[in-house]
Amino acid sequence: MKKIRKQDVKGLLEKWQKDFAVFVPSSASGVSQMDAWDGKDMEFLDRNRNTAVPPKARFLPSMEKMFGFSREKDSYTLEPTNGDPPRQLLFGIHPCDARAIAIIDAVFKDAYDDKYYLSRRENTMLVGMSCTGPYDSCFCTSLGFGPSHSADVDIMLTDVGDAFMIDEVTDKGKELLAGAKGVVDATKDDEKKAAAARKSAEDKVTRKIDTAEISKRLPGAFDDQKFWEEISAKCVSCGICTFLCPTCYCFDINDEMLQDGSGGRYRNWDCCSFAVYTRMPAENPREERWRRVRQKVYHKYLFYPELFETIACTGCGRCIRQCPVNWDITQTLNTLPAGKREETKKAA
Amino acid sequence: MTKEAEKKLRDEVRALMEKGTIERIVGYEEGSLKFTTTPLISEDKAGAEKLVINPFIHSNLSVFLPGLCGKVGIVVKECDSRSVVALIQDKQVERKDLFIMGVPCSGVIDVAKVERLTGLDRDEIDDIAWKGKKVAVTYGGNTKEFATEEVLSDSCFGCDPSGFKECDMVLGEAEPVVADKDSGRDKVKELEAMAPAQRWEFWKGEFSRCIRCYGCRQVCPVCFCDRCFVEESEPQWISPLPKWQDNLIFQVVRMMHVAGRCTNCGECERICPVNIPLGALTTKVEEIVDELFQYRAGTDKDAPPLMAAYKAEEIEDMMR
Repeated sequence: MKKIRKQDVKGLLEKWQKDFAVFVPSSASGVSQMDAWDGKDMEFLDRNRNTAVPPKARFLPSMEKMFGFSREKDSYTLEPTNGDPPRQLLFGIHPCDARAIAIIDAVFKDAYDDKYYLSRRENTMLVGMSCTGPYDSCFCTSLGFGPSHSADVDIMLTDVGDAFMIDEVTDKGKELLAGAKGVVDATKDDEKKAAAARKSAEDKVTRKIDTAEISKRLPGAFDDQKFWEEISAKCVSCGICTFLCPTCYCFDINDEMLQDGSGGRYRNWDCCSFAVYTRMPAENPREERWRRVRQKVYHKYLFYPELFETIACTGCGRCIRQCPVNWDITQTLNTLPAGKREETKKAA
Repeated sequence: MTKEAEKKLRDEVRALMEKGTIERIVGYEEGSLKFTTTPLISEDKAGAEKLVINPFIHSNLSVFLPGLCGKVGIVVKECDSRSVVALIQDKQVERKDLFIMGVPCSGVIDVAKVERLTGLDRDEIDDIAWKGKKVAVTYGGNTKEFATEEVLSDSCFGCDPSGFKECDMVLGEAEPVVADKDSGRDKVKELEAMAPAQRWEFWKGEFSRCIRCYGCRQVCPVCFCDRCFVEESEPQWISPLPKWQDNLIFQVVRMMHVAGRCTNCGECERICPVNIPLGALTTKVEEIVDELFQYRAGTDKDAPPLMAAYKAEEIEDMMR
């Protein structure tokens, strides 16, 4: 195992900055998110907590131009956006957020290849950081991984006090470290410290759900309108939980056009909590709030696993932490009715 | 004090439900995270046992009223009772369908301020509690005391202790801790001191972060329109794309729409996930409404809504 001392990380980032646009967790913009590294700020080395806006925004931005167009008489000319996105490196991404990106990869290369998302994905290196400060809203350990899960990044770092242990996960990750200054062999003591840090982080994740029980109960709970009405009563139908969810990927497409017929086609985040999301000329199948809340839960915990064999949730807890009314998905998942309520009544 | 009121509230709500005076209660229960409460909307009298009163009863519960039918009991802080009145004025709820229960509140603690002062996140703090006129925050085995002014929610400054509006029952009264209105308008003062170009740059920066989650609109009791202009497509008033210009227009139009209804309860700023200081706008809007019309939203249920009323002497020159 290798390690790098904390004071040498700046040099490493400077080296990477020659080849990549380097992004780090930062609050400089007024909200914590992955922002372009300014070459100075190193606070993120010691303040190792999840950003408010998930790193998915570096792959699926809240708004992006797909192509431009212009009109001459009756014909339109399409103007593709400029080639491939620049190569980027995300430093300090947490295992849950890296996992989230791996989860939603499936949907962007399912029916067709979504070049906007995939080109960013291919041009991105992920330098992960084992999470040492899970929030009280976190429940990642219930979803088959944990705060130091390294499978979804190129390099994983683990804080051992004055240094980071380095886990070179992919070949690309190995290349990233080739010739890096300050990378030295770790001692047995370092390895012990790293193991202790991992254990301690895992122990901090006390919120739990039972995914086996959930997948058993969900199919039967769908028609229990009373349950969904009760649990959704306090939801205010804003977009916070989905926009800040690292696995929510829905987008809307909009054209912006000037009077001369030129303009651009854009996509932007959309959200199933909004009543207009499913509004159609004749009807809206999810006009009522409880149907929308149910949809969100089912999409993540039943429909997505049916399609892509993985739950579309990483237990990052943003939806609980940032919710205006503290709507807590784990409470819903942990109280799903075991059978249809009507049947239970009849049996009784 | 609040513990006594809390017990009384539970007893009263249970009794009201048993008597059939109310069919459901809207109040606060313990949240699932530290220093949070969550709205309790219950038709079950067992729900009464979960009701709490503490310094974290932030939500303005009146937002739920237009969506509920039958006779509703609602727990309000003094400030939120104004929103209830504003909803009655705008005929979004009928007075006869409500049983309004005022709870004592010395002000709610803004946990985001505590986080900034301690450099910690909410979950890293062990305890936050009133200690006389100060607030004691315990973390890492130490207790630090902060002046109330430092941790009180902005909307609590200048809290008007003149009494609960329209309450059917008041479960105790508490002195507001800080009556000095000026302390809550630091951001407004900062903005007023700016040159227009500088202020424009400031808001450009703030609205560049907006992701159009519409959280501000959704938690706002007086944003009760069934159809909001932002979602209209024929004509399309603003772009659905979160460009800063459109984000700003959205918020400016929202402010115009809620002027005369907005009670500056502070919910929009509290819940904004990207920390846009919307409270500066609502504070200013309330001040402008007061200055132009000598009108304070939600103080008289029988008064016509500001923007729906018209007096001959208000005719402006352009209208003559």
